[in-house]
This record gives sequence, structure tokens and C-alpha cells, in this order.
Amino acid sequence: MHKTIIGLLSFLVLLSSAGVRADETCMSPYMAKIVGQEDYVYIWTLGMEGVGDGEDKLVTVDVNPDSESYAQVVHSISMGGRHEAHHSGLTDDRRYLWASGLDTSKIFIFDVHTDPGKPRLHRTIDDFVATTDGIVGPHTNYALPGRMLITGLSNNRDHGGRTGMAEYTNAGDFISSVWMPTDDNLQGAIKSGNYADGYGYDARALPRRNALVTSSFTGWNNYMMNLGKMMGDAEAMKRFGNTVVIWDLHARTPKKILDVPGAPLEIRCAWGSQSNYCFTTTALTSKIWLIYEDDDGEWQAKAVADIGDASKIPLPVDISISADDDHLWVNTWNDGKVRLFDISDPHAPSQIFEQQIGEQINMVSQSWDGERVYFTSSLLANWDKTASAEGNDLQYFKLFSWDGKTLTPEFSLDFVEMGLGAPHQMRFGAHALYASQPVPSKTIAQTEH
Amino acid sequence: MSLPITSIASEEHRTTAHLPEPTMHEAMHASPPEKPAILAPGYGPLSFVAPQAGSYRLPSFGEAPNGEVLGEDGEPWSLHDAYGDKVVVLSFIFTTCHDINGCPLATYVMQQVQSALQRDPKIEDSVRLVSFSFDPELDTPEVISAYGNHFRSPDSDWVFLTTTGTEMLQPTLDAYGQWVIRDYDESGAYLGTISHILRVFLIDKQKRIRNIYSTSFLHADTVFNDIQTVLMQPDP
Repeated sequence: MHKTIIGLLSFLVLLSSAGVRADETCMSPYMAKIVGQEDYVYIWTLGMEGVGDGEDKLVTVDVNPDSESYAQVVHSISMGGRHEAHHSGLTDDRRYLWASGLDTSKIFIFDVHTDPGKPRLHRTIDDFVATTDGIVGPHTNYALPGRMLITGLSNNRDHGGRTGMAEYTNAGDFISSVWMPTDDNLQGAIKSGNYADGYGYDARALPRRNALVTSSFTGWNNYMMNLGKMMGDAEAMKRFGNTVVIWDLHARTPKKILDVPGAPLEIRCAWGSQSNYCFTTTALTSKIWLIYEDDDGEWQAKAVADIGDASKIPLPVDISISADDDHLWVNTWNDGKVRLFDISDPHAPSQIFEQQIGEQINMVSQSWDGERVYFTSSLLANWDKTASAEGNDLQYFKLFSWDGKTLTPEFSLDFVEMGLGAPHQMRFGAHALYASQPVPSKTIAQTEH
Repeated sequence: MSLPITSIASEEHRTTAHLPEPTMHEAMHASPPEKPAILAPGYGPLSFVAPQAGSYRLPSFGEAPNGEVLGEDGEPWSLHDAYGDKVVVLSFIFTTCHDINGCPLATYVMQQVQSALQRDPKIEDSVRLVSFSFDPELDTPEVISAYGNHFRSPDSDWVFLTTTGTEMLQPTLDAYGQWVIRDYDESGAYLGTISHILRVFLIDKQKRIRNIYSTSFLHADTVFNDIQTVLMQPDP
């Protein structure tokens, strides 16, 4: 009776080890975490014309080195067409993976607990636009207690960047939606700078500060346009988000709109109990921005570092903060590089590492112990590169080991050669999450913050 | 047994601590351990100014499912009958839970809500606290009733429920999305521990779920504000 089970039962705990530093790619904190060896990586993959069946897919790769099928695709489920597969997220109980399509605005809910090695489609939400009164482009699928928060990128009025957020029960039933604050309707928010554009992209919560932080990208008209065409369209290039919004998390009302010009994308908040700040990077201006609560309790935003040479448009995409809040991985899509920044002083990050990963790079996901770093390549169907100087390094899923100084290649899968498509977001799976037998105490823990 | 742990969210961030193993006495009183290395926000003062009751919406999650249960007297009851015509705060617990930030947290917070309700007689009669065991093997009606008597005030409306076994229990757990994993040793013997994710539900008089709290979100001040909000806004 006095046996303490730390598995899923325990809250706020993470098994102590010197190697604890990563965050499973900054998923929603309100769920069990895999702190040991993950068994699978679920890769939400865009279909490509002429590649395999051409459909979007959820691809499952065995990543447990003790498995006979290590480094192999063990399962793939096609989605009956192309939906602009983009981001995905697990529910708070980690039993379902929500994966959304930016073009068709469909959300696919996969059962990943019945057989973690063979996800199956559980439910499809195909009325997202109508139910949310016009939100288009479901992007971030973020777990909150018993529900999923879905951020949008666009709307069905003009397919521009004005958008909103919606909430669904874990079962997939609509709860509510809210639009981002604009100059026309600030909804009580304080406009602290020049912009109140109403654009959306990512979201992260800090419940101990009752804060929800959202960022802003661009609308359907742009993210579905050919990249070269868009870059040459001066008007289109004006239609990118320039804001981060701080919300009252409990009330779901916007409190303050901060100027963060240049399309702030992924948001990653610090884990420390006294660390009331988050990072984002701006795609168009290639900077790291700090979103922080100052000594007076006011939320502020400031650019704190450059990422590469902004004039060459490296285009920062996914970022990942370490669990000790000391390091931030930053991928830059255009040059195919990953960079590591020392963020121990969040107001003055400095780059300490850089490595070429591929011809292009988008997502980064780390194991909890920080020793395994996964990368995928695809950004958007109409933005991805189509020709490679290196030949075959365009659409990949790669695993590297990380010893604190060096990224060492472990394996690489060519998703085009394998007939799969363009890999995007990665999420981890493990049998131990759903065990009916004793859970190895160094495999999983539930963490929140 | 104490396990070395590192908090990612407590005051002890970046330090190694030991998970306190509460004694049965401590667990029964759901009080924080003497030297808490890691405690959920619900054990301390709220660290932000909560939005005023009634100033925000709590949209419906849909109907709170019904189910078969046993009351403390061992008599069969339906969950909806147990809710009555009250606003309900429902938590799923088991009495031998040792995770200080799991079931004891839920019971501790409900005890604080009970105190807040007793200070506000205008709404006290409109609210019922319900604690529902998902360990029928150990939590018999007698056990759950004795457990409840440690926490509730004589005049408070706080009921404790259990079931006859898995057959009666599982449909309710499934309906509320409260999945649990019973922990067994290698020989298949039940260890008396259950892995789960803490969830506490706020249910309105029309038996609709209006909020769900997990460990990071569960605090008596916000629950009490939400109760008031639901009473002010019966139609979400």
C-alpha cells in the first residue's frame, strides 16, 4: 500500500537526472510526459502530387532502439486527400492525437492509446468553419483540462489573417469560439502599440499567471500561395501578423496587444516557477522576441537576439526551450540549419551552436532527456523547395543524438523516396502511457506548470 | 519509499527534492505536508487576481452523464439523483491515494470551497460537493463514508459515492473521460494504487458540465467564483 507510483499518477514531477533538459517539443504541459525512451514518433505528413497515393498521412515511425523495427515506418494512415496537414497535438490524457488541415479546415482525431503502434482515425471534425462562425485554418491543437484549444489562421469572409480560437471537448464536441481583438473591436484589450491586427497562429498558457499568449502569422490567401509569387507581391507581404496578445486565461478575454512585427510564430514559455516569460521568433525579421511580465506585473515584448543574417531571410520556424530554461533550439527553414541559443539570461540570448540539417528544415522535437533530437523538413505545400542542390535531402525525418556539444546522425528517412510525402509535426508515443502492468518509473511522469 | 524528483513548476525548481509520502493521517486530512517540496497551486493563495464572478462566460461542455452509484448507506443511487437540483463540484478520487497533488488536492480544495460556501449562506443551499471513488475494491460505502466524515462539516452538503465494482463503475468513468490504470505487481496482485489524471468537474443545475479543472487549475477561489458565475448565468 505504501508503494508510491510516480507514473501517470504523479503531478508536477519529473524524475531527477542530470540529463533532464528537454520538453518533448513544448507540448501542452497538462498531460503525462514520456521522460524515458519514446517508442514511436507520429508524423503529420502532407500529401505530395505523384508521391505514393498523394494523400496526407499520419505516419508512425518506431524509434525505440531495442525494437526489431527500429528506424522503420510501422504504420501509415491516409486521409483521403490533401488538407494541408500542418500541426497536431495530444489531449491532456494523451489518448488522442488531434491533427488539423490548414486548407480544408478539417480536424482528424486519432486514437493513439488502443494500439500506440497503430493509430486509428477515431473522429473527423469537418464542420469547423461553420461551427466557429467562420474561423478557417485550424493550426495549434493545444490541450487544456478536458478540452482542446484550437487556434485559427484565417476566416471565411476574405481568407485574410483575421481569425479566432475555438475550444472543443476531448470527445470532439464544440464548446465555444472567440475572435482575436482588432482595432474595430478590441474586446476590452489594451492596444499597447501600433497594431491590433486580429491575426492568429500559436497559443501557450501559463495558468499560474492566468495568462494565455497568442501569436500571429498570415491568412489562407498567403499560406496557400506559391512562395515565390507571394514574395513578389508587395501587397501580400503586408498581410502578415505583427502582434502577440496576452489573454486572461480563465475568462478567455484579451487583455493586452503587444507589437511584435514580422510574423511571430511558435511560442514557448519558460518552465521555472518564477520565470514569467515566453519566447517567440519572427519569421520575416529573423529575431528572437521575449514576451515577459515586468516587475510591475505588466506584460511586455522586446527583441532580444538576431537569428542569422536577416537580409538572407533564414526564416526561423520551430523553436524548442529546454526544461531548465537555459537553451533554445531554433530552426531556420530557408538555410536548413538548426541553431542553439543560450537563454540563461532571457534578455540577452547568445548563439552557441549551429549545424546544417538538410536543404530545408521546419520542426524540431526532443526527447525529455534531451539526448535525442528529431527533425522534419516541410513547411507548407506551396512554400516547400522542389529542387535540391544535394539531391535527396528535401523531405526527411531525421534523428540525431545530442551530447551537449555535438549532434550526431542516428538515422534518416527520405519521405519522398518512401512514397509518403512531406513530413511536418512530430508527436511522441509510448506503450508505457497506457500500461495495465506496473509502469517503469523512469519512463513517464505527469507534468504541469 | 521516497522517489527523487525535480519539480518543474514549484518554488524548488532546479533543485532535487523528495516526494513526501503522506501518512494515512495526512492523507485523510488532505493537508499539505510539513515541508512541501512540491505543492499544487491549490494549496496556497491564488497567485493572480481572479476575474470577477459573473464577468466571464462558462460555456457548456454538454450534459454531465448519468450513472449508477452507491451512496454511503450502500443503497443504489443514480448519479443525477445524487446531484439533485444543485450546482455540483464533482471529483473522482480514491481514499488510499498518496499523491499529494492528486486526490488529496481535490479533497483539500473542496474542503476550502465548503468553508467558502459556509461563509455565504445565500448560495450555500444551491451547491453540493460530490466525491466519487474509482476504487470500489477498497472504497466500500463504509470506507468512503468514514473518509468523508473526516472532511465535511456537520451541516455541509457533501456526499461521497462509490460503486459495487468495475461493472458499475466503468461506464461512468468512460462517460466522464476519467480514465484510470489500476497498478498491479508482476504477479498480477493489485497494488492499491491507481494512475490517473486529476479532473474536477463543475456541473450546473441543468446537469451540464461548465468547467473542468486539473491540478494546475484547481483552486478554491476560482472554483468558488465559477460557482457564483454559473448561478448568475444559468443559460451558458
